[in-house]
Amino acid sequence: MSTPVLAAANVTKSYRLGKREIPVLRGVDLALMPGERVALLGASGAGKSTLLHVLGLLDAPTSGQVLFDGRPVHDLPVAERARLRHEHTGFVFQFYHLIPELTALQNVLLARMMATSTLAYWRTRGAARAAAMDLLAQVGLQDRLHHRPSELSGGERQRVAIARALLAEPKVVLADEPTGNLDSATAAGVVELMFSIQQQRGLAFLLVTHNEDLARRCDRIVRMRDGVVQGEPART
Amino acid sequence: MIAAFSPFLALRYLLTRRINLLAMFGVTFAVWAMIVVNSVFTGFVSEIRTDVRRASPEMMLTDLPLDTGYEPLRAALEADTAVAATAPRLRHHGLLQPLRVPKGLQPRTEAAELNFDHMESGFALLLGIDPAREEAVTPLRQWVARSEEVFALHHVMLPPSTVLLDPDPDRRAQLLLPDATEWLARRRAGLAVDTPKSEYRSAWPGVLLGWRRAPYTPWLREGDPIDLLTAASVPTTDGTPQLRSHRVRVAFAGYFATGYRAFDETTALLPIETLRTMFGQDIHDPDSIDLVTDVAIRLQPGLSAHAITAARDRLQRAAQAVLPAGSAPCSVLDWQQQNTVFLSAVATEQAMMQFVLFVVMLVAAFVIYAVLHMMVVQKWKDIGILSALGGTPRAVGAVFLLCGVVVAVLGTALGTGLGTLSALSLNDANEWLFATTGLELFPRRLFDLQQVPVRLDPAWLVQVATGAIVFAVLVALFPARKAARMNPVQAFAHE
Repeated sequence: MSTPVLAAANVTKSYRLGKREIPVLRGVDLALMPGERVALLGASGAGKSTLLHVLGLLDAPTSGQVLFDGRPVHDLPVAERARLRHEHTGFVFQFYHLIPELTALQNVLLARMMATSTLAYWRTRGAARAAAMDLLAQVGLQDRLHHRPSELSGGERQRVAIARALLAEPKVVLADEPTGNLDSATAAGVVELMFSIQQQRGLAFLLVTHNEDLARRCDRIVRMRDGVVQGEPART
Repeated sequence: MIAAFSPFLALRYLLTRRINLLAMFGVTFAVWAMIVVNSVFTGFVSEIRTDVRRASPEMMLTDLPLDTGYEPLRAALEADTAVAATAPRLRHHGLLQPLRVPKGLQPRTEAAELNFDHMESGFALLLGIDPAREEAVTPLRQWVARSEEVFALHHVMLPPSTVLLDPDPDRRAQLLLPDATEWLARRRAGLAVDTPKSEYRSAWPGVLLGWRRAPYTPWLREGDPIDLLTAASVPTTDGTPQLRSHRVRVAFAGYFATGYRAFDETTALLPIETLRTMFGQDIHDPDSIDLVTDVAIRLQPGLSAHAITAARDRLQRAAQAVLPAGSAPCSVLDWQQQNTVFLSAVATEQAMMQFVLFVVMLVAAFVIYAVLHMMVVQKWKDIGILSALGGTPRAVGAVFLLCGVVVAVLGTALGTGLGTLSALSLNDANEWLFATTGLELFPRRLFDLQQVPVRLDPAWLVQVATGAIVFAVLVALFPARKAARMNPVQAFAHE
């Protein structure tokens, strides 16, 4: 059996509110195999987004481990975690989170600038630009390269965000309700696009959603309630 | 290593947020003000110091006991190899009362309400000098010649006095006016003249007045008689002091202009013998004392600061040795020590001005801080995105630090350029403004200067530019650090 590309082992996360300790994750075990598409379902406040942030190394667990390719990574130095996030993880958010001052092309290119020095990027900017344009063409935005987010529709913005998540060629994509802010027709288009790219590239895909129909199109559904994984057992 | 996104994003933020211009212009204004104000102030201070230096002997022996004679001191001081020349000086106070005062122009202040701070009363600091010796220690002739330039600035054509040019050294020592001039002056004043003009010989000692008295006695013409009234406490035979007043008639010999305002306002130069005679030390009396209150000293040229300090101490000891045993210590002061109060006041004023400019820079730095801090707060979602994409806290902070650096560098470059240009063209601007509107940015006549004394010091430019950049960058570190420490999860938690 192959090693999970990303796994949470008995992860807990709690926040302190004054003198009170608020537990959000209570010993979560979850494994994401290479090329696997997993849906994370749960009500608001179940801890889905927190788990996503912990798995994406944006937040540290209170206890437990986050493993990447079987290696514990949750307690690495901050710069190392940033590098790992850049190289192996792509994020897609419900509210797109594009930088408003940049065009669609620049937003995508930003992903290439993260771990490269100014000089090194300057030398390879032609290749980076070509790759970004290619990705934007794949998501159907070849004619919207130089438009700013404010000039794009919701669906187009999410496509830019998907292209940005893929430019660094990650192994894992963590998507937090990526269609939650789109109308159903647009959402369907975005879902098709995401799933086709996921299949083409063999990405591990963790999709946080409220949508049961969408969840059913994944290989596996993981349900969360009150910070605990329920239903289908996690593969660890 | 600076990640490529830091300068890229910093530039985009700068170009798309106009409020950054406010921060940049804040730095520009502060640097501009520092350069222009300081260059003008430095120019003024330099002029003031030059004027004070011109009005003061290189060194001065002072704090001498009463009845001190010049000759023993001269011998003691001139024995020192560092001394080039000495000159006796006798200081006292007095009232100058011109005999010929046109009707309606009498002084408004009555004798009973003398205002010693004002020249209108005729009050003067009398400085008795030996012109020949004085010329060896101070630029006396230059003082007299300079009066013509100063009057010309005020559109008054008045040739300088010629009393120092008399070929007869005895007449020069008494500052005597040409015979015909005094003869005519006597007639003008309505005084009896028994001698024909061709046989008349000048008799009144001359008095040279600081040019700043001129506005109060505009009718005075060369040779006009002036009564000099003074008083001194003299011991009587039984030892009790008695106040004795003296009156002597002198002739107005012209004006002098050192440039040092206080000196030119208050001082009247007259032959030292005239003052000595008033104190009972008649030159013709073999027992008289060649009375001095100070001795002006000129040192040999080219002495180092260390050698001058050493000479000052030596001269003090040499002079003290000549004075009667038990005398209070005399002092030897260099030109700066002679004017300590004034020069300290100027230095304090300059320090205060620099403090005010520093506050201007502080405000500019605060504007940078406020603008960057606001940017960090407004961009907290961007900070979250950058972290999610793999940006390290350091690289995220660098975005905002680079914004500060660019604002500081551009603001400083613009301020330095504008400041230099303004300082260099200040006189042209002043001329233009005066020609166009009749107004002056800097009233030159107030300071008796041909032009605004701008002194642009390259070292100061470098200091200001470097200081402004360093200061602004240090201030920018705070919002940058805040950005670096922001928790990226916060950006996504409150949607």
